[in-house]
Amino acid sequence: AAPGTEDSPALLQYVKFQSSNFENILTWESGPESPPDTTYSVEYKTYGESVWLAKKGCQGITRKSCNLTMETGNLTELYYAKVTAVRPGGQPFPKISERFSSLQHTTIKPPDVTCVPKVRSIQMIIHPTPTPILAGDGHRFTLEEIFQDLFYRLELRVNHTYQMHLGGQQREYEFLGLTPETEFLGTIMILVPTWSKESAPYVCRVKTLPDWT
Amino acid sequence: EFHFGPCHVEGVALLELWKAFGAMKDIVVTQDKIMSVRLLKQEVFQNVSDAESCYLAHELLKFYLHTVFKDYYHKVVEFKIMKSFSTLANNLFVIMSKLQPRQENETVSIRESAHRRFLLFWSAFKQLNTEAALTKAFGEVDILLTWMGKFYRH
Repeated sequence: AAPGTEDSPALLQYVKFQSSNFENILTWESGPESPPDTTYSVEYKTYGESVWLAKKGCQGITRKSCNLTMETGNLTELYYAKVTAVRPGGQPFPKISERFSSLQHTTIKPPDVTCVPKVRSIQMIIHPTPTPILAGDGHRFTLEEIFQDLFYRLELRVNHTYQMHLGGQQREYEFLGLTPETEFLGTIMILVPTWSKESAPYVCRVKTLPDWT
Repeated sequence: EFHFGPCHVEGVALLELWKAFGAMKDIVVTQDKIMSVRLLKQEVFQNVSDAESCYLAHELLKFYLHTVFKDYYHKVVEFKIMKSFSTLANNLFVIMSKLQPRQENETVSIRESAHRRFLLFWSAFKQLNTEAALTKAFGEVDILLTWMGKFYRH
């Protein structure tokens, strides 16, 4: 295929969104025949609109990523992005991403948790997870506000064969009836059933306090 | 189960619908080259009341099953995605057949409001040539499922 047309992968490949907690980064790779001084320009468009908009800050760049979080922040919209590669004296080579929906595609990061050891228990406090998504009143939506059925799954490994489990939508949990001055491994995950999303675990290694009584 | 206002539908797992469509999505959506047209626009689903949701879901699913799925089947065979297609179609048929929107007089205005929303979708569909419209409508099943997901209870 002629250079600069959609079918020749010479300058550019794998244009795609990487999304985590609604932070949407467009990434791509250079093609097998791209000279090092190839530059890239990014445009984006809302599905259903006809105009491509240039992303300020990602015009004529040499890096292979561009943060489109703010431009793709409407949860009810779907988006396309286009990267155009240009090598000095050569034809521009455009490539378009797949249709992107942050609700469908975003992955969930591990939660932010404070594990508090006591003498015979361990308390776990899960902090709300802010996202870049802005509400009408300007506050940032948390994951919990975006996903109504989001819940937490907590596990405390007592020994090789015995674990304790807790779970739910509240943010504070306490594993009770533990042995003083003993080390435990806690893991906490976020799950969103409707979208079958599951975060990697947050892990905390905690030792219960000595019993001075 | 789904709670479209007064209409409750049990026995269909939203996850199964997403899995079935997910298996076809890459093939299907890339066939849609018209990026400047969206059939299931925001206005179709914006501020749908619970009461309206049963009528709108029923009308959309009926159109999808009787027109889009029926007339797109030759592409399904071409792309060899019959298994996922059948899973999706059968589950959507179960939902549609269990939706029994009431037809009394006092629901006329709600029905008309839901129908106006459906017509937004339908008129956009009619403006495209048949093949392009079928491809686009089928590729927008994720938009339909996203809306339906708001009425799903675990």
